[in-house]
Amino acid sequence: MVDKPKQDNEEAPKGSTAFLHVGSSPHLSNSRLTTQRMMIDVLIGLLPILVFAIVIFRWFAILQLGICTVSCIAFEALFSAWRGKPSPLWDMSATVTGVILGLSMPWSAPWYIGVIASGVAIGIGKIVYGGLGQNIFNPAMVGRAFVMISFPAAMGAAAYLDPDGTLKIVTQATPMSVARSSATPLWPLFLGTVNGSLGEVSTLAALIGGGYLCVRRSASYEIPVGILGTIFILGGIQNLLNPDSTFTVLHHLFGGPTMFGAFFIATDPVTSPVTRRGKWIYGVSIGLIIMLIRVFSGYPEGTMFAVLLMNGVVPLINRWAIPIPVGGPVPVRAQ
Amino acid sequence: MNEQTKAAPEIRRKGGGYLGQAWLILVLALLFGSGLAAVQMALEPIIARNKLSETLLQIPNLVPGSETGEQERVNGQLVFRALDADGNLMGWVLPASGQGFADKIEMLVGLDAALETITGIYVLDQKETPGLGNRIAEAGWRDQFRGKPTSKPLELSSAESSIPHHVEALTGATISSESVKDIVNGAVASLKEALAKASGS
Amino acid sequence: MVNDQPTALERFINGILPENPTYRQLLGMCPTLAVTNGMQSAMTMAGATAFVLICANIVVSLIRNLLKPHLRILVYTLTIATFVTIADRVLAAYMYDMSKQLGPYIPLIIVNCIIVCRCEVCASSQAVHIAAADAVGQSLGFTLALASIATVREVLGAGTWFGIAVMPAGFPNWVLMVLPPGAFITLGLLLGLVNWLTALWTQGRKAKPTAA
Repeated sequence: MVDKPKQDNEEAPKGSTAFLHVGSSPHLSNSRLTTQRMMIDVLIGLLPILVFAIVIFRWFAILQLGICTVSCIAFEALFSAWRGKPSPLWDMSATVTGVILGLSMPWSAPWYIGVIASGVAIGIGKIVYGGLGQNIFNPAMVGRAFVMISFPAAMGAAAYLDPDGTLKIVTQATPMSVARSSATPLWPLFLGTVNGSLGEVSTLAALIGGGYLCVRRSASYEIPVGILGTIFILGGIQNLLNPDSTFTVLHHLFGGPTMFGAFFIATDPVTSPVTRRGKWIYGVSIGLIIMLIRVFSGYPEGTMFAVLLMNGVVPLINRWAIPIPVGGPVPVRAQ
Repeated sequence: MNEQTKAAPEIRRKGGGYLGQAWLILVLALLFGSGLAAVQMALEPIIARNKLSETLLQIPNLVPGSETGEQERVNGQLVFRALDADGNLMGWVLPASGQGFADKIEMLVGLDAALETITGIYVLDQKETPGLGNRIAEAGWRDQFRGKPTSKPLELSSAESSIPHHVEALTGATISSESVKDIVNGAVASLKEALAKASGS
Repeated sequence: MVNDQPTALERFINGILPENPTYRQLLGMCPTLAVTNGMQSAMTMAGATAFVLICANIVVSLIRNLLKPHLRILVYTLTIATFVTIADRVLAAYMYDMSKQLGPYIPLIIVNCIIVCRCEVCASSQAVHIAAADAVGQSLGFTLALASIATVREVLGAGTWFGIAVMPAGFPNWVLMVLPPGAFITLGLLLGLVNWLTALWTQGRKAKPTAA
């Protein structure tokens, strides 16, 4: 029984009621666990953040989110039609990509940036690999990285700032871009009444939404815990080394898109590892890279690059972190 | 693919000794070598003139206020006197070179008339790694040498620094940055005193 | 034996599209990715490569009966290196700015596999006029490929073509396109496009019974 390699993991043929058919794992414990359900869960999880973004950035948020979501859906339909595949819009993944992309934009980004980012996210981030499930990198982050490098003026720290802005919030510099010189008070940083990308400002909203995702198991808690834990430990060490610094470990945790990234971007099931050990490795590494970029590089913030970099090594982590099945390792057969 | 295998019998020849095997290469090497020598002899003056005119063109950028340059030999080394429209000495431009990461780096270093600050540097020729080391030639990086004091040799730093004699190294191209810094330091150190005498005279 | 080898005309036509060095053979990727951020540098590179390719093919074809199989690559390299050095010096003398801009990529033509490939496949076994036609065809193919990539990258990345502004004022430059990632993205997408068009074209030909 143990020696025999398990190969019978296909579903039981219809009508074969004579045998109790037991396939090897993974088992689908719940047939309602579909892509669509997961994506809708993510959208529900994003709701508190959406509400916060709209409350704080008003029409800028609605405009930006609308542009990104509509463009993502349109590009998905266009590219799928071009490839002659049935349109996979019902699985909602393009909508999720669009909303996450929109939430990662500065409020001031011109309309074409959202459209280009959406096109790159869906086209180069997802479709060229063969569609949802085949992509190596998080599509929304591919799109954002593309426009961030292409249009530094419209996406950099200066884009967030508008001294004559009609909204009071956009007259302040973002907490992360001033991190090296001064620190924002913690309470506004936690609530989210500070300047920044649309979805990154509120730690509270990200915690509510992210908590929902983890409870629903639509996101694996190992990844956010790994990321935030690493940032907490490294930020704590930095804090202890420079006790005078006003930028504390809590600023590292609450500031920038740390929370948003940890709960909503890094947990994308397609581009994160499948095993529990792999998820820990992945989460801790992202936290490590975020801190490296924040402390040592010229960029004020590095969640996007950290996630993209670790996306690239996920296949390697998956190979490395294969769990040992009950009964000892499966004997390796010569190919 | 099959063209290759068909070609083989046609080009096969009975080989003799070493000379029988290699005579074609020797003859070709000789022919090509002399051809290249001729090309080099014909074109070298033009290339040298290009470099000289590039140097002269750069002088106004390297030394503020200057318009032309005049060649001069100080301590046996070629330097340029940067002159304004009326012929007043505004500063000096020193051609300098040294080993980079890949090949020789040729540069120009501009100094003010008092020889106290570097007024600019320019990279004439380099073959550093594209995308990393070759950024030494970009204006954004070179500009940080402007206004650096010559009282102390320059040093590299890994991040922006407010210390006057620090320059920020290029990420991923420490050796190229190091070379440029050494070339600048070397040029300043070897000529500073001699230039002080020359400008006094 | 010589009869079943392609004729001069076939060699010439093959080089342009059916055996395009970049899109069909995927040779010479280094200059394709490195110097296509502008039309000027791409066309200078294409010209220098064409000069070296044509000269090397002619010389190798002339001495093809003297080549020894185990020393032939040495002879190719020697020939190619000579012409590359000439091209490098001529550029430095007459197009100094461009030579500075291309920097190490001109000397790197020595290791451009298109040239060794053409010397090996064609020039070492066929007559001079065929080798020359082959070199011209391949050079045109390479030029077309570089021009297509450079056009996309320069127009999107800098809003210009040959340094002349072609996009309306206020066009936001896609900086990424003139950076190395832009080269990879453009090459990949154009490669896909060429494959797609080729597939459409062959299907269209198969549909007609006469073409078979």
